[in-house]
Amino acid sequence: MSTVLDQIEQEIAKLTSQAVKKNTGNIRTIADGVAKIDGLSDVMYNEMVQFPGGAIGIALNLEEDEVGCVILGDVSQLKEGDEVSTTGKLLSVPVGRELLGRAVDALGRPIDGKGPINAKETYPVEKIAPGIIVRKSVTQPLFTGIMAIDSMIPIGRGQRELIIGDRGTGKTTITIDTIINQAKINKVGLASGDPKFRPVYSIYVAIGQKNSNVVRTIASLEAAGALEYTIIVAATASDNPANQYIAPYAGASMGEWFMENGMDALIVYDDLSKHAVAYRQISLILKRPSGREAYPGDVFYLHSRLLERAARLDGKGSLTALPIIETLAGDVSAYIPTNVISITDGQIFLETDLFNQGIRPAVSVGLSVSRVGSSAQIKVTKQVGGKLKGELAQFRELAAFAQFGSDLDAKTKSQLDRGGRIVELFKQPAYNPISIELQAATLWAMQKGYYDNLDLKQVTAAAVSLREYLATRKDALLTKIRTKAALDAEIEAELKSAVDEWKATFAA
Amino acid sequence: MSAQSKKAQLLARQLFKLSLENGALAPERVTGALAYLEQHRPANPLLVLRAYQRLVAIELARSAAVVEHAGSIADTVLQSLAGSFSARYHRPITATAVANPALIAGLRVRVGDDLYEASIAGQLAALAAAV
Repeated sequence: MSTVLDQIEQEIAKLTSQAVKKNTGNIRTIADGVAKIDGLSDVMYNEMVQFPGGAIGIALNLEEDEVGCVILGDVSQLKEGDEVSTTGKLLSVPVGRELLGRAVDALGRPIDGKGPINAKETYPVEKIAPGIIVRKSVTQPLFTGIMAIDSMIPIGRGQRELIIGDRGTGKTTITIDTIINQAKINKVGLASGDPKFRPVYSIYVAIGQKNSNVVRTIASLEAAGALEYTIIVAATASDNPANQYIAPYAGASMGEWFMENGMDALIVYDDLSKHAVAYRQISLILKRPSGREAYPGDVFYLHSRLLERAARLDGKGSLTALPIIETLAGDVSAYIPTNVISITDGQIFLETDLFNQGIRPAVSVGLSVSRVGSSAQIKVTKQVGGKLKGELAQFRELAAFAQFGSDLDAKTKSQLDRGGRIVELFKQPAYNPISIELQAATLWAMQKGYYDNLDLKQVTAAAVSLREYLATRKDALLTKIRTKAALDAEIEAELKSAVDEWKATFAA
Repeated sequence: MSAQSKKAQLLARQLFKLSLENGALAPERVTGALAYLEQHRPANPLLVLRAYQRLVAIELARSAAVVEHAGSIADTVLQSLAGSFSARYHRPITATAVANPALIAGLRVRVGDDLYEASIAGQLAALAAAV
């Protein structure tokens, strides 16, 4: 009925010939995607401003006699003296399921050549984060498919977990693995017809990335069949800083739609270091006072208001955030890394040394932590991996001492041997997430000493072989582990017989 | 913005505030401000005068309604427009007519930063933007 009324309303609007009031101004200066405008006396903070040629700006600096605007889009046609006008609207982006499987720019416009997006709703890009009352604590797991993370640094739905490390340590790979794993879980869950199953939709926001990297990411997701559950928001290095500044907020709005409508979503910000750099550039051109490392005073708020939008809402869905920060020479005490570490609910620290030693994912167990995820961890993972973090930490400490080559007692030797095996066990190739039931079975076999008599170099191959064996021959057992999410005596007995069978074939 | 330019802006703003009487620009005060600048020449008089001129121009534009029209416009219409804008903005506003055949038909009125578009050209432009 409302659509009929809307149609009549539109017809009336066509016939009325009332004067249209606009508040206008003129470009005084324009440089690097930022315009200083005379006039616009009625403009509001963060209001969309219409530039000639269809370009849109956002009013960021409201000064006594001029307005500073960042321009989103092509600035090449704009010149000094051009008239601009207020719109009375906040910047909004299209939201909804229609965006799944698509790559869009910071304003939600398609960039993948697959035609227009017929989204029915739009959300403002800047939105106040959900308050205290509507939030619920994190208790549901979000499996990354990476054994080292799911067993030792678990992530829950609605959590903000930072992924931090130097360049080339596999930060993006971890997030892509996580997105692929969500797609795998979604496919199994939706096929099972379980009414309680809640799929997780993913949003990958590329900020200041190379175009070639974004293409590679899209190709990886497409190859893994994960693109249909994913939205790509790209503000690449060739986009102006204003687009790079807006992109994560646009992605957050798209994720919030899923959360507000009772669904679960995962958002990856790749990466917030480049986001801070883009914002610094805008702020310096706007002549805002600069502080430490030339960042403006509100750089903390820049990220805190973004990451606070990730939440688990009571009676609705959740939005889990995986922001990425790139460090220089492993320095986590720099300005932006410490800011984001303090905002998030934990961090996964990736080490260059581990990466170069072939330990991939190069997760540093000592420096990584998940502050709220343990309450979201399922029982089976706690049963098989509860002590792993402590054991690995001990191993690293002992390994450092063992380097001096002194005589070691039998206990220390066994601890070192076990630690070495755990490290080998956690090695996992890229874009190959492991389901939680297979992770549990792999770790159970470790716990029960099935890899103890193997050569250290054989452990990874043995684990892969065990998972292949179980996946191809023991589907019923895996389904039981997945649905019960705990190891009871019956499942454990079945698992034992299955692993014994495998061991016989592997040894042969 | 250089320190010199900032100082010039500040002085221009101070002079502009002194040029107002009961919230409206007083010509004799503007003359007084100019005489002050003559007597106490600042380090960068050109910058100060340009900034002062800009502020005065903005203020003058706020109290003038520039009525662009395609055809002819009667004096009574102008007076009526001046009266209604004065009532709307709570300050005396004078209306001046400027012929603009590009509008095709209708009016376009500018009062300070506000633009009232009631012309065929404006409607066509809005239609073109919407398509």
